[in-house]
Amino acid sequence: MTDLTHDAMAVKIGHHTSEDAQRRLRRRYAAERRFKYYGIGAICLGLGMLAILLISIGSRAIPALTQNYLTLQIEIPPEPLVASADHNYMQFVEREILSLFPEAVGDFQAQRQIMSIMPFDAAGVISERVLEDVSVLGGERIDVTLQLTDEAQAYVNGEISRSTPEADRRLTDDQMSAIDRLRDDDVIVVQDGRPVLDIAVNLPFYEVVNQSNFQSLANDALYRLFPEVEGRARRDLRAIISPGAGFELRQMILADPGLIGSSVSLEVPLSDEFDQLAKNFVDRDLPEDQRRVNDAQIAYFDGLEEAGLVTSRFNTQFFTAADSRQPELAGIWGALVGSFYTLVVTLLLSFPIGVSAAIYLEEFAPKNRLTDLIEVNINNLAAVPSIVFGLLGLAVFIQFFGLPRSAPLVGGMVLALMTLPTIIIASRAALKAVPPSIREAALGMGASRLQTVTHHVLPLAMPGILTGTIIGMAQALGETAPLLMVGMVAFITSTPEGLTSPATVLPVQIYIWSDAPERGFVAKTSLAIMTLLVFLICMNALAVWLRKRFERRW
Amino acid sequence: MSMTSEIASEPSVSPPPQAESEARAKMTSRGVEVHYGAKRALHGIDVDILQHEVLALIGPSGCGKSTFLRCLNRMNDTIEGCKVTGEMTLDGGNIYDKALDVVQLRARVGMVFQKPNPFPKSIYDNIAYGPRIHGLAGGKEELDGIVQSSLERAGLWEEVKDRLSEPGTGLSGGQQQRLCIARAVAVSPEVILMDEPCSALDPIATAHIEELIDELRVNYTIVIVTHNMQQAARVSQKTAFFHLGDLVEHKETQEIFTNPQDERTQGYITGRYG
Ligand SMILES: Nc1ncnc2c1ncn2[C@@H]1O[C@H](COP(=O)(O)OP(=O)(O)OP(=O)(O)O)[C@@H](O)[C@H]1O
Ligand SMILES: [Mg+2]
Repeated sequence: MTDLTHDAMAVKIGHHTSEDAQRRLRRRYAAERRFKYYGIGAICLGLGMLAILLISIGSRAIPALTQNYLTLQIEIPPEPLVASADHNYMQFVEREILSLFPEAVGDFQAQRQIMSIMPFDAAGVISERVLEDVSVLGGERIDVTLQLTDEAQAYVNGEISRSTPEADRRLTDDQMSAIDRLRDDDVIVVQDGRPVLDIAVNLPFYEVVNQSNFQSLANDALYRLFPEVEGRARRDLRAIISPGAGFELRQMILADPGLIGSSVSLEVPLSDEFDQLAKNFVDRDLPEDQRRVNDAQIAYFDGLEEAGLVTSRFNTQFFTAADSRQPELAGIWGALVGSFYTLVVTLLLSFPIGVSAAIYLEEFAPKNRLTDLIEVNINNLAAVPSIVFGLLGLAVFIQFFGLPRSAPLVGGMVLALMTLPTIIIASRAALKAVPPSIREAALGMGASRLQTVTHHVLPLAMPGILTGTIIGMAQALGETAPLLMVGMVAFITSTPEGLTSPATVLPVQIYIWSDAPERGFVAKTSLAIMTLLVFLICMNALAVWLRKRFERRW
Repeated sequence: MSMTSEIASEPSVSPPPQAESEARAKMTSRGVEVHYGAKRALHGIDVDILQHEVLALIGPSGCGKSTFLRCLNRMNDTIEGCKVTGEMTLDGGNIYDKALDVVQLRARVGMVFQKPNPFPKSIYDNIAYGPRIHGLAGGKEELDGIVQSSLERAGLWEEVKDRLSEPGTGLSGGQQQRLCIARAVAVSPEVILMDEPCSALDPIATAHIEELIDELRVNYTIVIVTHNMQQAARVSQKTAFFHLGDLVEHKETQEIFTNPQDERTQGYITGRYG
């Protein structure tokens, strides 16, 4: 037997140095090289695609980074601000009078009865007072004397009385008793032989000014630049500035009431059509009826530009505002905050639940039919189309539990359902990858199973768990379909303030904008996509950093 | 060394000869069978392990030495599909009793595994882990003391005293094994199970571990698996020879090496197979 093996060995001598062997070796190297080139090719192809994507979206996004503004010298006379709010003053009076009738709270019928003892324009006197001296706004209460209706006066003077049948008089019993009460309180007094209402009212600055028409102040400033334009032609002119001008002006004045009566120089945003014109995206050679700006408007605009009143600046509005119908006012801050709240909910729900589930299944659960079934189902859930989770969220969270629509809370819960399988699967894989010898070592030391897991297994599995979690979160960040189902597709112009306030999220915002007809939204959509990508990159960088940090320990 | 063995073999109170062996049986095994799934790895093992005694388990690879060792602190519980039947006691109490607390059992019966498996933590934390979870040290100083003495006993102190905060996994294979021994010693178990503790060690470190075993015997009971006949002869009082899942012979070390009864034992210790 030894001889035989010896012979067999002898035949093979020189086997590794023969011609044949050399050829085989060369072939092996060639295969290796080929494989390497395929790999490099695949990577280059992928990078190329990515570069094309980024360049095409990025180049379309660039115009959205700037916004054109028109510098206007705006006069802020008190009259339009305080006079245009006549009906408002009546509200303040109403508030004072009704405070004397606490039983009428919530009873609009009764409130109307009480208020109808005064004529509608009774409060006009207040606007006169305010015009005399704007500083009474937001200051002490002011005493005003208001007219009563003729009937009320007649009743006070005793010309009509309750003995007249109610059908024959214009004053109801309720009104009469209201008048009686006011007389008892010395609110209705007789002055110079005439009954009047003498009351102190509070004039909160904010409420008076808030509802005034600020846009018209900006329009007036624009009209002054083109004195020759009059009448209906002014419509074309005022289309140049964005409705955001009035909004900005209001913010300024509310912040600094001292501006009333002065004149300020303000850069107001151009409306979208003119912003496009300023960016040279409007083809001036096109027939007039195919453009959104007519020849007259172009002429006005050119005049403004020649005068050096149009400036282009970085579009901070885009990063600080919520959505708007006007492209020049629309921003992604609202969607970003919405995304943030949604992801916070998602993370807070899916991370602890997912990791606990993974730990239980991997470290504690007995391996039997039931756990096999659970495992199969979790894997299946990972493959369920996300819109199904949206439908589930709609049916369960909103319709059954009655949670609010469009809220980050519900969106986050739906996304948590969607990310759970990802996190569980990743965490289980990470736990499984921890060498069993570590568990044995800990158990052999007399550590309990939970101690073994928390002290030894989990720290080692953490990098993998975190990677899985962040991949899941990144998925959730980019998810649209399930959120459409729970109403997060609504048009929301305010930045969400909490988990239950209506909100939208970045990808849904992109979806909404990509559907909008206004030219300006094209670039805005691209810029929003770039922002989303930046966020995703940040999240992935965070994942890498966390992994490094946890791994560096040992 | 002779001093220690003298102390060990001379109990302070000497009960009658027969009762003595009963009383001093730290652990017993009666008809222990182990199945890995359908495969039977141990066939009815009967062994008494006496207090303050070193029992050496020898036998060819795959004969079930590690399996038996793992039965003694129920580490087999962690293996999927492993079933242990028969009776096994520690101080007279059945360790496979449902009411028994495995965590406590493993604290009382420590183990050094065949493959070194330090925690991926610092050298200090490796040793301090057991005392910490079992609340053995009152304060930082006491813990430092336990760490130092454990490392000294495993003969590792001189090598690592300046790098206690470095990872235990960064040590060499032999150092890791000694770290694992120090780790097991640190919780002061009553019984220490060692699965080929010296297989990765050089002769000097081996001698050191053997000295340690001798020293530990004063307070603890030790079961050691070894492939090294000389080592078995040097450190143990009793030797058990396993073969294909059977306990072939179990008696005084002296006797088994000089006068083996079974043919298989003789063949193994003279190196004819294994
Ligand atoms: N986890 C396991 N699953 C299935 N079979 C196992 C397992 N562990 C051990 N066995 C089997 O049980 C038998 C005894 O194994 P054991 O590890 O006890 O041998 P050993 O005597 O320690 O060998 P060695 O000297 O090589 O360490 C072997 O046949 C082995 O294949
Ligand atoms: Mg073994």
